Amino acid sequence: MTDLTKLTRRKTLLGLGAGAGALAAGGVMPGSLGFAQAQSSAPIKIGFQKHATGIGAAYGRWYDTTTQAAVARINDMGGINGRPVEIVTEDDATDPGRGAEVLEKFANQHKVDVAFGTLFSHVVIGSAPRAGELKLPYFVVSEGHHVASGMLNRYTLQPGITDVKSQVVSMAPFIADNLGKKVTMIYPDFAFGHDHRDFFSEAIAAQGGEVVAKIAIPPTETTFTRYFPSIPRETEVIYHVMVGPAVLTFVKELGEFFGPSRPELFGFIDSLEAVDIKSPGLEFLEGAFFWEGMPRHQQADASDASNAYRAAVGVNERGAAIDDPSNVSTYAHMFGCWETLHVIKAGMEAADYQGPADRAKLIEAVEAMTDMPESIEHPQGDKVFNGKTHQAFGKQYISKVSDGTLNVVHTASIEDGMYEDEVNYTTQSL
Amino acid sequence: MYTNKMISLVKLVFGVLGAFMLGTTPVWAHAANQGFVLLLPTTAYIAGGTVTVALTILLLIFAKPGIIDAVMQPVPLRFTASTLPLRDWSQSTGALCLALLILIGLRGPTDPQANLLPLVIWTVWWMLFFVVQALIFDLWSWINPFPAVHRMLMSEHRVILNLPSRLSIWPAVVLMAAFQGFVLADTAPNDPDRLAVFALGYWALTLGGMTVFGREAWLKQVECFSVLFALIGLIRMGRSNRLGLPGWQLLQDRDHDLSHAIFVVIILAAGSFDGLYETFWWLAKIGVNPLEYPGRTALIMPTLIGLYGSILLLTIILAVAAFSGIKWVKDPVPFKAAFIRFAITLLPIAIGYHFAHYFVTFLVQIQIVVAGLADPLAQGWNLFGLGSRRVLVGFLTVPENVKIIWFTQAGMVVMSHVLAVVLCHRTAEALVSSRRDVVMLQLGLSILMIFYTIFGLWLLASPRGA
Repeated sequence: MTDLTKLTRRKTLLGLGAGAGALAAGGVMPGSLGFAQAQSSAPIKIGFQKHATGIGAAYGRWYDTTTQAAVARINDMGGINGRPVEIVTEDDATDPGRGAEVLEKFANQHKVDVAFGTLFSHVVIGSAPRAGELKLPYFVVSEGHHVASGMLNRYTLQPGITDVKSQVVSMAPFIADNLGKKVTMIYPDFAFGHDHRDFFSEAIAAQGGEVVAKIAIPPTETTFTRYFPSIPRETEVIYHVMVGPAVLTFVKELGEFFGPSRPELFGFIDSLEAVDIKSPGLEFLEGAFFWEGMPRHQQADASDASNAYRAAVGVNERGAAIDDPSNVSTYAHMFGCWETLHVIKAGMEAADYQGPADRAKLIEAVEAMTDMPESIEHPQGDKVFNGKTHQAFGKQYISKVSDGTLNVVHTASIEDGMYEDEVNYTTQSL
Repeated sequence: MYTNKMISLVKLVFGVLGAFMLGTTPVWAHAANQGFVLLLPTTAYIAGGTVTVALTILLLIFAKPGIIDAVMQPVPLRFTASTLPLRDWSQSTGALCLALLILIGLRGPTDPQANLLPLVIWTVWWMLFFVVQALIFDLWSWINPFPAVHRMLMSEHRVILNLPSRLSIWPAVVLMAAFQGFVLADTAPNDPDRLAVFALGYWALTLGGMTVFGREAWLKQVECFSVLFALIGLIRMGRSNRLGLPGWQLLQDRDHDLSHAIFVVIILAAGSFDGLYETFWWLAKIGVNPLEYPGRTALIMPTLIGLYGSILLLTIILAVAAFSGIKWVKDPVPFKAAFIRFAITLLPIAIGYHFAHYFVTFLVQIQIVVAGLADPLAQGWNLFGLGSRRVLVGFLTVPENVKIIWFTQAGMVVMSHVLAVVLCHRTAEALVSSRRDVVMLQLGLSILMIFYTIFGLWLLASPRGA
């Protein structure tokens, strides 16, 4: 669901009033088509690099909804440093080449203060170098490990969502203690799957567990039954991270293969983002466990902040759009937009950000952040930000499917997901 | 929130002699929807559809000669309305709308899902109007924006250079081929700025062409969309106050030549490739991980090679089918005439596939268009209360709906093949006399159509990575 009336279009005009310096530095374009609504101070412009089309479009819609809701809240509370926030949206078509072009448009044409919002890893990797060249702060919401791996640059940050390495690593203690120590991993045979394979193997070994089989499925595969006989008999837990259109087929065939007596199942909700757990064919998932970035189904003990956030983004108790209950949201990821925007706000306030000349100060201010307690600004849970690796660490949720509903049975701590620093961006010059 | 940008005039690259950037592969495929399609027993459905087409071919073997003509005979309609002056006005309105849309493209919202230019061009014009033009009425003659400005400036008979009529529609063929290349391979056909510049460029080209070569000649032979809509309009049931079964117009003698045949081949091949190049099958062939689609920028070359290769391949296959048919019959049949006439019978398939291919995307995008109409100039309006209309996408993840939608798509594909088979039979009847010859002449084509049915349905059922 995209409610286009919620988008209040703010027109920009060279403002009159205090802080003339802010006007010049704020990068305001002269009034377009003569819209006459005067603002008392120039807005902060945030370039939203949206996957409006392409393979990321379903995420793009929900990222947009969440972004608009967060900005509405921020502006209702007075904006950033008393200035309203304006979102400038450009479509990167989920394409790395286009992503870099979009960042150029943001910096040179729209003259935004910062850019934000990219999800898909390959687009982030394709765009980030350009952000570095343009000296444009680039806040990504991608959960990719590429930020913390050191692959990118000091202008790219991920303060609003945890990364895959942290997510995978933090699952190992629960799995080893509750599900079993002999794990068979089933994953698609490319980088995404390999990351899970590598991160988890190391983590489960540290818990005294063992990966007894690694079943790598070719990405072009759309039927899986022939792979299941290689699952060793002594498997206690199957760890699966299948993605793509064949996921439902995978679950169905796994169910047909095992019947009523199966090992424990552990998966990532990424496989089923935007798909209702109650969908026909997913009955086999009864009793299965899932990592969730943020619990899709409203929990009885959810915090007020979490519930307020859920209402603000228009999502019901089953994680679907309130006015279109078949439209299941990408709940495990979109909170990242909300939190990232609030981090940008906090950073700009800490740096007393006036305009693009202060971008370096903004980066430094964000790098100085550490604890981000759970609050309406961080409804997913407590966070700790690592200024050196530019990556946030947070809680991870493990839910069990019970009668078609995901109930949180364990919350992994921030420490569970920590790993050694792989880079120190602060040594790079801005 | 969106921003209205004032793009300096310098950015307008007038006279960009590129094809009008229209149509695209709107890659808004909803992943969950696809997941449910893969759970359907599509193999059985594909078999069913193919059997339907095969049965039609078999039944026609026993059809009495002339029965198709009798069935397809149009009936005259009683009322006539002289609409010509009205048409001039409506075309001017079309031109005004296009101008307004281009302005919105340049200065309106930067998000293509909020900007009416890409929304109207792709969803309304390319998806909806195409089907309306082919099935319902000659919409294009009412909204064609190109003649209007020229009409204001000079008479249609004014010509500076003569466009030889023996060129037929070859210029349009070249433009359409180029345009399809842009459609499938360009990195950002939805970008409002970019689209506006291309639209303006094509309009300028058309205006220039009409001025030099005369309005009538240019629109008839070069302007590729007028040519396209005229051609697909031949499937329509109603024309010139007569009403008949779809395709009856093609039974009337028309002076189609090789350029028309190749034009049809291009529409069909490009439409087919548009479906193919999103599939796991194609991505695997070009060494791309379908679960890690790299984006259009990285795939420009493979896409162009695949597109033009498809056009070439279909031409060759069609030629082989026609040629083998000729070899198997007693009566002498000129190859060129057979090729041309059989190529034209592929028209229904191109239209049926266009409908099926875009149907799911259309169901979502048309809602976004309606919501966008509420505030075309990004002033914060809420015209007709449309702004509060919700865009519902959840229905695509309800298995029952997925099934109904898939059947609708498949139904169109099958029906269009059945129609093509009928037209093909009738074409054979016109070329040879004995029943045996009629069957043998179109044998190659019959096999081609059966395989194309399987292919078209397989495309609908195939997992997509893009």
